[in-house]
Amino acid sequence: MLTPLKDIWFITRREMRAFAKRPIFLVIMFLAPLGFLWMFTSLMQSGLPTKLPAALVDEDDTHVTRQLTRILGVMEETHFVMQTKSFTEARQAMQRGEIYAIFRIPKGTTEAALTQRQPVISFYTNDTYYVAASLLMKDMRKMSEMAGLAMTRATMRARGFRDDQIMGTLQPIVIESHPLGNPHLNYSVVLSNLIVPGLLMLVIMLTTCYSLGNEWKRGRQKYLYDLGKGRIGVILIGKLLPQTVLYTIIFWLIDLIFYSYLQFPCQCGVSRMMLWGFLAVLSSQGFGLLMFEAFPSQLRMAMSACSLLGVMQFSLAGFSFPVSAMDEPFQWLSNIFPLHHYFLIYVNQCLNGYSISYVWTSVVALVAIFLLPQLFSFRLRDAMLYKEYRE
Amino acid sequence: MKKPMFPILHVWWDELCEIVKDEGILIFVILLPLAYPLLYAMIYNTETQRQLPICVVDDCMSDRSREFIRRVDATPEVKIAASCVSMDEAQELMRRRDVFGIMRIPREFDLHLWRGEQTVIGLYSDLTSMLYYKVEYLAVINVAQEMNRNIKVKERQTNTTAREEDVARWPIRFEEVKMYNSAGGFAAFLIPPVLMLILQQALCLGVGMSMGRSRERFRGLVIPPTKHYKNTLAIVLGKGLVHFLIFLLMGLYMTLCVTRWFGLPQLGHLSEIFGLLVPYLAACTFMAMFWSHFIFRREDCILLFVFMSIPLLFLTGVSWPGASIPPLWKAVGTVFPSTWGSNAYVRIQGMGASLGDCYQEIKMLWILAGIYFLLTCFLYMFEIRKSVGRSLLN
Repeated sequence: MLTPLKDIWFITRREMRAFAKRPIFLVIMFLAPLGFLWMFTSLMQSGLPTKLPAALVDEDDTHVTRQLTRILGVMEETHFVMQTKSFTEARQAMQRGEIYAIFRIPKGTTEAALTQRQPVISFYTNDTYYVAASLLMKDMRKMSEMAGLAMTRATMRARGFRDDQIMGTLQPIVIESHPLGNPHLNYSVVLSNLIVPGLLMLVIMLTTCYSLGNEWKRGRQKYLYDLGKGRIGVILIGKLLPQTVLYTIIFWLIDLIFYSYLQFPCQCGVSRMMLWGFLAVLSSQGFGLLMFEAFPSQLRMAMSACSLLGVMQFSLAGFSFPVSAMDEPFQWLSNIFPLHHYFLIYVNQCLNGYSISYVWTSVVALVAIFLLPQLFSFRLRDAMLYKEYRE
Repeated sequence: MKKPMFPILHVWWDELCEIVKDEGILIFVILLPLAYPLLYAMIYNTETQRQLPICVVDDCMSDRSREFIRRVDATPEVKIAASCVSMDEAQELMRRRDVFGIMRIPREFDLHLWRGEQTVIGLYSDLTSMLYYKVEYLAVINVAQEMNRNIKVKERQTNTTAREEDVARWPIRFEEVKMYNSAGGFAAFLIPPVLMLILQQALCLGVGMSMGRSRERFRGLVIPPTKHYKNTLAIVLGKGLVHFLIFLLMGLYMTLCVTRWFGLPQLGHLSEIFGLLVPYLAACTFMAMFWSHFIFRREDCILLFVFMSIPLLFLTGVSWPGASIPPLWKAVGTVFPSTWGSNAYVRIQGMGASLGDCYQEIKMLWILAGIYFLLTCFLYMFEIRKSVGRSLLN
């Protein structure tokens, strides 16, 4: 009755000794995930980028335009690091990458405004830097809109209107936006929360392949088969259990740092996220195992496939560019990646606090990715018995 | 007198044969740089989110609220996928991910407008992706501003002529110009730095794997203990040249072919692209050769280099604004050629900058190439000593 447990324990001990001998395991399993946790949380500590460098081209240079630019200067995202009268100079600074946007007030703006000849002000954003450009565009648009409204307000005040009447004229319809779950639009909440677990999941996939493939590389696959007495389940549990435990602890540590220490929004409670973290670890191991079964005895091919697909899952998960906006084949393809499903569960549970029943398909998918390699375990058995290591 | 070029050519030929024979290296040196740019370009090819489904809760049910909804529906950014009678129903649709936003028009919407007061429309966005919030906000705010102008001109103010109306509508006109990426697309923004990163990472993987293979084959040595491998300069340049030339071809394929096929930014002239690729690939090659010294088995390089790609992309300062990167991480980013290469490439290809505009980046790439070259030579000098010792022992 206890024999399988004994065998598992024996293989597990052997595996742990192998870890202890190789410093690369220490680097990859501990230092890399924790290093990336530190890196991403400190990189995006500002949450929403603010005070982005921009240039002001004030060709008019009157007290009116200065008032306008002073107001623009106090906006949250904009920081005028350059003031010039030449647009070319500003454009060159943009090409040198010193600024992300240019706000231009052409000559004669004040005069045209006072004589009701509709001056045109313009702003240019460098959209090759997408995030910075989007944030600056929002500020500058608001400011330009406000400039026009301020002129009308001055006229209406002169005519004796009350302020509430003026507001009812200038801005009859007001939009009140509510970004749900992340009201401060903190980019770190969206990105760190997924990139750090995503990197951990990639590490899990790669090390799963690596530790299995090493048996073939060292020519120990038959010995391992004998140790497990030919039971693939026992062998796999023995080999992968230490990693499961270790990675689950790291995942939980990441969860604790995110939701307890950094206070990222978590509607479902840390313990629930830990459960999904555990499932993500299992699912990533399943994915790695599946890749290994696709190329048994060919460690390098399995790892190459894992890395090529594993890096792609960051794009196909959908947290930077939504899956719904991709072409249909990629929408289908995204479903094979554990990170995509973990992301959907994270949004549902942690960000929005909805019931898990709305993303049950993703939970099933994670379990399925974990269990799928069992169907192909015969390939592992064959490889252990009949295949030698192939470069 | 010995021909000085001979050892270089010998090492070069050896390395080339090794690469061609080894399918594992070929995957990273040929397949990855050929296929990955295409895949990425295809993923982001749609550029932006269009017709995002949102739902509306119209508590007012007036002529004007319907006009507002119609106008929002007509924007390219969103489509009204459902009209709900209550917020509960709308929330249920959002939970089921049938819609990604709720627009709520209050009961008093029309009444407030007739009274000349302000009225508030609520927009509740799903933050599954920041892009959802952006497109929804943009669509609704544009419609609100347009209707505000109409209300102001037609109902609140008494204008006598068409010209007066126009001035009241736009006392100051403004033009917003998205430079260098006029569609505001994701592909045009993300693919250029990714191309540069693919070059660097593929180079690291290719060189690392070849180094790991040598170590496995020559029992811990990175060079064979033969007479041709005695000159540091010849070894470093000979080995480096193989990877450099292969990746120069790959770089040209990415910058000229992939960008053309997918309509990505391509403002740079060939001479400028060369002027960037040469120092960039030199820096990448020597960096790869330097770091690969710490790889003892061929698969280790996959473990070490692959997951660096995502952090390195952030350190470039293109995806996350460079101005918001803390000084520590900026400093870390300076040791990787991808940081300088991506920025210079984005400027040359995306913004039509000249090499002179990218002086700082190109200078840094040459400096990095020099530093990594010296470090690599230093390490190879040790390796030659080791190999001489080994052959003496044998």
